[in-house]
Amino acid sequence: MKSKRVGKPVFFVIFILILALTYTAFFGISDYYGDKKKTYIKGAEDIRWGIDISGGVEAVFSPDIKDVKITSDDMASAKAIIETRLVNLNITDYEVYTDNANNQVIVRFPRTAGDDDFDPQAAIQELGASAQLEFYEGDDNSSGKPFMTGEVVKKAVANYDEEHGYVVSLELNSKGADAFAVATSNAYTNGTNISIYMDETNISTASCSNGAITGGSAIIYGNFTQDAAIDLANKINAGSLPFALTVDDSKLQIISPSLGSDALRVMVIAGSIAFGIVCLLMLVRYRVHGFVTCIALLGQLAGTIACISGYFPNVSSFTLTVPGIAGIILSIGVGVDCNVIAAERIRDEFAKGKTIDGAIDSGFKNSLSAIIDGNVTIVIVSLVLMGAFGTPDSLIAKVFSPIMSLFGSSITGAIYSFGYTLLIGVIFNLIMGVLASKYMLKSISQLKFLRKPALYGGKKNG
Amino acid sequence: MANKINVNNKKMLKICLIVYAVVIITGILFSIFMGLKLDINFSGGARITYSYTGDIKQADFTSAVKTALDKNFTVSKNESLAGNTKTYTINLSGKNALSTEIQENITKALSEKFADNNIELYDSNSVSSSVAGSFFAKSMVAMVLTALLVVIYVGIRFKNIGGISAALTALCALILDLAVTFCTCAIFRLQIDSNYMAVVLTILGYSLNDTIVVYDRVRENKKYYPQLSLNDNMNKSISGVLTRNIVTSVTTVIAVITIIVVAEIYGLTTLRTFGIPMAFGLVSGCFSSLFVAGPLWVLWKERKNAD
Repeated sequence: MKSKRVGKPVFFVIFILILALTYTAFFGISDYYGDKKKTYIKGAEDIRWGIDISGGVEAVFSPDIKDVKITSDDMASAKAIIETRLVNLNITDYEVYTDNANNQVIVRFPRTAGDDDFDPQAAIQELGASAQLEFYEGDDNSSGKPFMTGEVVKKAVANYDEEHGYVVSLELNSKGADAFAVATSNAYTNGTNISIYMDETNISTASCSNGAITGGSAIIYGNFTQDAAIDLANKINAGSLPFALTVDDSKLQIISPSLGSDALRVMVIAGSIAFGIVCLLMLVRYRVHGFVTCIALLGQLAGTIACISGYFPNVSSFTLTVPGIAGIILSIGVGVDCNVIAAERIRDEFAKGKTIDGAIDSGFKNSLSAIIDGNVTIVIVSLVLMGAFGTPDSLIAKVFSPIMSLFGSSITGAIYSFGYTLLIGVIFNLIMGVLASKYMLKSISQLKFLRKPALYGGKKNG
Repeated sequence: MANKINVNNKKMLKICLIVYAVVIITGILFSIFMGLKLDINFSGGARITYSYTGDIKQADFTSAVKTALDKNFTVSKNESLAGNTKTYTINLSGKNALSTEIQENITKALSEKFADNNIELYDSNSVSSSVAGSFFAKSMVAMVLTALLVVIYVGIRFKNIGGISAALTALCALILDLAVTFCTCAIFRLQIDSNYMAVVLTILGYSLNDTIVVYDRVRENKKYYPQLSLNDNMNKSISGVLTRNIVTSVTTVIAVITIIVVAEIYGLTTLRTFGIPMAFGLVSGCFSSLFVAGPLWVLWKERKNAD
């Protein structure tokens, strides 16, 4: 049982790649034009931290209507919709309280000082908007009564369409399909238009030159950008509030971190020391393999950070909270474990009297099944958590929707955030801890001065 | 395999179950007689905000409130986004937390202590818990769903050794670990807050992973030593993974303890509710997968074969 040797340069190639990833993931790539910083790649500094870590904004929402009795059910549904909108804005760390006596919804969400990309006031307006989608016959909403509203929309998806650019496609329920068929057929015969309004703002007016639309689907177009189409689809999916909510600007507050004002700095120090101690323990016990483990763990950590900070252009940035950090810690623990399992197996193989190459080879081979089964189990855990506590229209949530839809929407960003960082961490563990570690060790063990079993935890004269 | 250590799994099971019983009973007694400390997120409560001028240290403010208020509370420091109003918010958990009398007492105590700072009642709200009942229902379903999927996965992957029963005893070990984290909070009087949720989730993943490593070794030993009885196989497997289990657990526990210690040195006490139950849960996870999940499963199998 002889497997192919891995060349000496492989170690250095992987090492340099991981160092490059680590450096850019932590520090980002940016330069300064005078005072203005231009960020090419986002680093750890650009991570949006949760309220618990870096503080945030508190807004008190009150219904924008008078003389109407507001029930506690209305308040509960307002809370659920605000939570969905927060998660749609990628704000997964929030606290939403309702005060039924005063009819107020208190929302706290994170805000990092000096974050120019994120405008809390705009976010607050978006959260409080009632999001009433209305469809009118004619060129505007002067006809008075809409022929249908957002309630008939089963699902909205942002799409790209050759003819209209970015559009939002709507799937209507049977009531909506009927109403839309009647309206479009009228518009077709009379040569008139259909207008669509979101919160009394016209977002689209179009004719029906191709005849009545009877299939229960509709598209909204109107020179949207990709982001605008996605935002609109999210807004429609989140549902409309029973009433618009406004914020008393004087009650808009900046809140200090709930963990304490120094939390972030202390946690970075504590985390670095803990990481250093873990590396030291690995080095002492496993020598060369310990060194490889440290590099792999660094790569895993950097990869996870990169998926949170928005380093990769197609992975949007993510609010990191204490549960999110717990997810990273668990995945690093799993990463340590994966290397420990392999290293112990290699020691066992030396004890049987194998050569360096043979021991490393069978050590990795024997440890693979335990590592894969352990990691897949954790992936199952993280997927269920993301499905149960994420937005209802995410891919994972759809898989679980037959079960989870029984429980109404209760989105809990903190748990979603745990599931996300855990999933990403375990994926990077499979890349770094399983693949990169193996090739690095096989390659580095070819170096002449490292060809001593004692350096891998084997017997001195093995 | 050169394993010098020989483990008697049944003896270890007995010892472990006694320790677990003691810990869990102590935890239950503590939570019955001393009560649990629930965060405002879970129990709802009241939020009273005071505005002030000048400078007031958070620690001074907290101690002033303490003289007037005989309850658990937390204080957070705020600043208005638009103007320059500085405020402190007192969060009180529990129902009927906000009586006018309590509020007046606090206002009086604060005005006396900070006479130069224009203490004024800025806002007060009685709030429902931000974590709704449906959250708990959903958490239960998510737990059951996770358990089900893990049982199915382990059942398939460990078919040769009777995976479903193995998965079920793995879940027993997990329940013990979660009970330990809960008892830690009760015994050390730690507040159950969102940090605790993070601990529960972490231990869930960690404990399952630990147990699977044991079963993986049983599966392998069964392949290489088919003549071994299940009991002997389990003893051999536990001995085989013992070093790995100790190294991994010691490493992770040291990492978590480092985080708590550093945080405490810098005065960041809010990480206690995260670190302490986590450390105990990790230790429990190590023992329960070695000496509870595996041995229980051996007992189950032996009983089944005897029938």
